[in-house]
Amino acid sequence: MKVALAFLAPALVALLALRLIPAAIAVGSSLRHTSLVTGETSFVGLGNYVTLFDDPTFLQSVKVTLVFSLIVNPLQIAVALALAVLYTQKFAGVRSLRSLVILPIAVPPAVSAAIWSVAYRPDGMLNAVLHVLGIPQQPFLTSPQQALWCLIVLLSWIGVGYWMMFLIAGMQDIPRELYEAAGIDGASAWAKFWHVTLPLLRRPLAFVLVADTVSNFLVFAPVQMLTNGGPQGSTNVTMFDIFTRAYSVGDLNLAQAEVMLLVLVVLAVVIVQFRLLRAKD
Amino acid sequence: MLRRTLAALVGLAFALPLLWALSSSLRGTGNLGNSLIPADPTLANYLALLTGGFGRAIANSLLVALATVLIGLAISAAAAFGLSAIRFKGQAVVFGLVVLSFLIPFDAIAIPLATLFRDWNLQNTYAGLILPGLGHGLAIFLLRQFFLAIPAELVEAARIDGLGWFGVFARLYLPLSRPALVSAGLTLFIFQWQAYVWPLLIGTDTAHQLGPIALANMRGQFTIDYGQLFAGSVVLTVIPLAIILRFQRQFTQSIATTGLK
Repeated sequence: MKVALAFLAPALVALLALRLIPAAIAVGSSLRHTSLVTGETSFVGLGNYVTLFDDPTFLQSVKVTLVFSLIVNPLQIAVALALAVLYTQKFAGVRSLRSLVILPIAVPPAVSAAIWSVAYRPDGMLNAVLHVLGIPQQPFLTSPQQALWCLIVLLSWIGVGYWMMFLIAGMQDIPRELYEAAGIDGASAWAKFWHVTLPLLRRPLAFVLVADTVSNFLVFAPVQMLTNGGPQGSTNVTMFDIFTRAYSVGDLNLAQAEVMLLVLVVLAVVIVQFRLLRAKD
Repeated sequence: MLRRTLAALVGLAFALPLLWALSSSLRGTGNLGNSLIPADPTLANYLALLTGGFGRAIANSLLVALATVLIGLAISAAAAFGLSAIRFKGQAVVFGLVVLSFLIPFDAIAIPLATLFRDWNLQNTYAGLILPGLGHGLAIFLLRQFFLAIPAELVEAARIDGLGWFGVFARLYLPLSRPALVSAGLTLFIFQWQAYVWPLLIGTDTAHQLGPIALANMRGQFTIDYGQLFAGSVVLTVIPLAIILRFQRQFTQSIATTGLK
């Protein structure tokens, strides 16, 4: 017992001081209010949470985050799954073509934002491609209708290959004989995918769904670098809203309340995953 | 050969932004063109980066990431050992704490932690940048999974031979666990290399600036030097790419372990 604790002590100190205590501080701080006039801090209970749900900026940010999540997660997973199927087929050059899709996972989010910020310019690469195809110039980041989609594209560029790797790892665990048996029964390629691949991919798919959802709740760098939440609040996702509330508006207590809501949503998503995975095992 | 054409087109689409960034980084100053092959390729942008503040930022990023890997691995491996080789009462509670700590996303608690770090006078220090990478529950989890597969008889035999617990850890577990150490190390490296929210909140003076922040600041100026912006993007991508390629097998393996177990 003493020996085990000696081995565990450095990690426990680190986890407590760097993860759990700040989380506890956020809980406490979210229940307080610091007056801007007197600088005095008082206990307000759930007051900050009530204030948040009356705040149109917060409500707009929840709406944007919801729309963003409902588009980006299914999109990334569907594309990752389709590409996992495509790049596990057997034909010449498949491995090197697959690595081209995986290549962008080495790109840090800030770098992806820097590259795409130039690509989305009126005289950037994308408009040049559109011009060749005979499509008129697009506003991209300056349009309230297109800005969120621009973020979705740059995040999918670095995300799809990553999630595809998890699905390919899962597919390689499926026994060959199952496909051979299905082939003898005369199953079409589509039937094999639907009745063999998909059911046996349940675990990795559930993991990817949750991990992708969580990581997309935490998107920050591209928003801060490309759109600053705009135009007209159309890209003001939760993490950016928290950041502006804490450092531009300067209400740290209100920001901590929003942090708590985000943590609760993330934990709920993860618990649903555990339920999904336990359900059939 | 429909699927081969499709696979080639998709692959090309994914590689295109990087190719474009690479070719733009080799262009002379001032011209932002869209052709993929620059007329007179030059390394001028890279040289200008090195002599400017960006070289310092890359060195800072490397220092922070490597220190995190070394110290973080030592801490995580010891903890994983305490959670697998030795049995004790309350182990499940401690393990639950580890799992809980990595279920709380780090970026979400960065703001309360930054307030704490300012109280501890850690702003503008390397320690302030390195520390958050050390409490990494996922690294402990990955190593523990691997350690659990080491047979208990081996430990008993070593104990009978007179090896202490530290000896078992350092001379038996660590040498056997190279692949797991590499994949946990990669996790720690990538965590620090890609960090943006935390260095933005804590490290603000130029002496301690990290690569991604320096890159983002290049865009904040009135005139943007696109050649240098792309050269910086290429440098910040090539370094982790080289490391991932070098340890490709372990990287794929760690993906399979996290996703399936």
